[in-house]
Amino acid sequence: MDNTQIWKDSLEIIKVSVSPAIFSTWFSQSYISSIEEAGHRIIAEVGCPTSFAKNTIESRYFGLVQDSLSKVLGKNCDLIFIVKTNPNTQKSLEETATPLFSVEKEGNDLLEVLQRARIRPSFTFENFAVSSSNQMAHAAAEAVSQSLGSAYNPLFIWGGVGVGKTHLMASVGNYILRKSPDKKVIFCTGEDFTNDIVEGIRNKTTQAFRNKYRKLDLLLIDDIQFIAGKDTVQEEFFHTFNAVTSVGGQIILTSDRPPSEISKLEERLRSRFEAGLIVDIAPPDFELRCAITQIKAREKGIALTPEQAQIIAANSESARKIEGLLTKLLTEIHVKKIPVTNELVEASFAKNLETGSNLKRSTPDEVTDVVSKYYQVGKRLLLGDSRVRPIARPRQVLMYLLRTHLGVPLEEVGRVVGGRDHTTVMHAVEKITQLATVDVQIREDILKIKQSI
Amino acid sequence: MKLQILQENLEKAVNTTSRFASSRAQLPVLGNILISTRKSKIHVSSTNLEISASVQVGAKIEEEGEISVPAKIISELVANLPKETVDMVSEKEQLKVSVSGFSSTILGMNSSDFPKIPNSVDKEKSIGFQQNELVKALGQVLFATSTDETRPILTGVLFLFGKNSISLVATDGFRLSRKTLSFKMAKKVSNSVVIPKGVLGEISRTPSEEAEIYFGVQEKEKQVIFGIGDTVLTSRLLEGEYPDFEKIIPKASSIKVFLDKEEFTRAVKLASIFARESANIVRIKVLKDSINVSAESSAAGSQETKVDARVESTEKNFEIAFNYRFVEEFLHSASGEEIKVEFTSITAPGVFTDTSDSSYLHLVMPVKV
Repeated sequence: MDNTQIWKDSLEIIKVSVSPAIFSTWFSQSYISSIEEAGHRIIAEVGCPTSFAKNTIESRYFGLVQDSLSKVLGKNCDLIFIVKTNPNTQKSLEETATPLFSVEKEGNDLLEVLQRARIRPSFTFENFAVSSSNQMAHAAAEAVSQSLGSAYNPLFIWGGVGVGKTHLMASVGNYILRKSPDKKVIFCTGEDFTNDIVEGIRNKTTQAFRNKYRKLDLLLIDDIQFIAGKDTVQEEFFHTFNAVTSVGGQIILTSDRPPSEISKLEERLRSRFEAGLIVDIAPPDFELRCAITQIKAREKGIALTPEQAQIIAANSESARKIEGLLTKLLTEIHVKKIPVTNELVEASFAKNLETGSNLKRSTPDEVTDVVSKYYQVGKRLLLGDSRVRPIARPRQVLMYLLRTHLGVPLEEVGRVVGGRDHTTVMHAVEKITQLATVDVQIREDILKIKQSI
Repeated sequence: MKLQILQENLEKAVNTTSRFASSRAQLPVLGNILISTRKSKIHVSSTNLEISASVQVGAKIEEEGEISVPAKIISELVANLPKETVDMVSEKEQLKVSVSGFSSTILGMNSSDFPKIPNSVDKEKSIGFQQNELVKALGQVLFATSTDETRPILTGVLFLFGKNSISLVATDGFRLSRKTLSFKMAKKVSNSVVIPKGVLGEISRTPSEEAEIYFGVQEKEKQVIFGIGDTVLTSRLLEGEYPDFEKIIPKASSIKVFLDKEEFTRAVKLASIFARESANIVRIKVLKDSINVSAESSAAGSQETKVDARVESTEKNFEIAFNYRFVEEFLHSASGEEIKVEFTSITAPGVFTDTSDSSYLHLVMPVKV
């Protein structure tokens, strides 16, 4: 039981014993500021609005208050009275900003609003590139931002890692807040939502939690699949969901899989998710990756030729990787003070792989097997001496993959692929990197082989 | 209780205290005043739970005691008594008041229900103000307090204690007034307190023959206490954080205008005739050696007044607009003959000062037009 409830119950008892006038004059604005347990007794600190109230309660109604509080708590109580205004009744100052004190704040207003809603300012529709893989999701998100709460409610966006689910969802929040900053918007992850509930239960402030989430115009929850299997969280979310949608609020959710595949998700939640629009975002295709590269390069202030953008897009399969590559490139340009050239782009791409941050744990032999099976070329032929194209091209792809995907050193790659010189390997990697930018077939081959590794 | 008292003494005490008795309070005893005796004095007290007042007057006491009686009845009754000695006797919960040829029985209430009211000031722990100085200072800040109850902290005056001075600050979010009183303090009473404007207004209204007003803060009780002659006023303090006003006071200004107060006041007054019709806006245009005060209303017409001024400016064609009420109220509160007005930009507050009184500073936020 929290202090407010304890005091409310005690006041009910006191109310019976004193006249209404006395009650409303002396007791109505009092509250418990703290409760401490000391052995088998409890020490309660009672805050009174004025010193008159404090003196009167202390001198005339001490026994009554002590008795009723003891009854509510079931333990003997000691009382301390202090003069203090109930903090819950005080209005917060931020809400009524007046011109004199808001002078220096202007300008940052929007940023502050976005910050309060926990939305990244850079996630907007303007810098979201659209192609066939995410066209549907983009159109749905735009429709939602045009007519909040009525177009598709909830909007459920799912897709793999780094396909732009979060970006798209945050864009809606960004658009809404830019248009009308007084809308109540919260962006959080399923994890944040869970933590907030746990916090609320622990600090006995579930009410505050409800106030925070249930009175929203737009609720954005990222990675909703994390609440699956957590009963209380699901229940709380269920009620939040109903509270928000019933008054016309919009909900947007993202997940890494469709609702039907989220295990341990309560049936009533699943059906609610399915009632809205479910859209998926496929991994970006080559053209989209090119567009993303160009958008991100512009944001970072790097001038790329279309060809350079294509090299980067062809060799990285997700938007995050593109971002990483560009960051690397940017550092290189700044440190070495050199212009961007095709060689530099390729070099930085190769270097990125040497760092081996996301290398797969498969052995060169397995990769060789996969490549040989994919191209239907015998292993002996593949590693042999034949230089006809149907065999040499798969060999080069194999070397490219060993080098870039597994991060195997050049010499070692040469040894694995039938004892070849390291310059041969270098040539192969370069060749495939080049080809990947212009040849759709090669690109698809590489992607499929990577998936089957 | 049995005592004799001079009518004029009783009237003074009852008049002062009955103002604070709240006739509409839910608790009937709060509509009463308490009369109690102590040695050769009687204390007359009342409270509305926000402010309390207690006045002590001399009387000839034959029997000690105390009683509470309705404030309205006793004050009207005492005011109409002849100026002679009044006999007062309490019997249970009734008070008998009699003079020659007149007697009355007032139905009172048990005094034990009456809240405890402080009736003396500990002069050791208090600061002594010169009465006229404090009253003047309050006159210069009180009008700038807010009447908006949604932000209670601004309805009070901030008392900021410095090393050798006290700053009184009031603001309603559109203008700000600061007056600094300098004097030696034996010891610090507190860092800063925010006192509701109600009790401060009463200070200037409370009659006193003594030149000093004693001021004390009871931190634990969240209460401030004023000793004004025989009267003791208390008030609760406002809780909350006062806005950081220091940072909104412009540090430098690009335009300084020195004006004759009378002339400027007249110009503002003339402008107000038309300004009243259009959101109280008056425009001030800074020229080479004068300013133009103008106002216009689509319904009533327009006017323009030229006021001679000494201008120190680095900008040309500077025009700024204010709510004339704010300017007018400042002009009424300034006592000197010359006013200095400083501007930095059309969106930054204008700084109004009295050139003969450096301890007084007033800010007014311009209106966007």
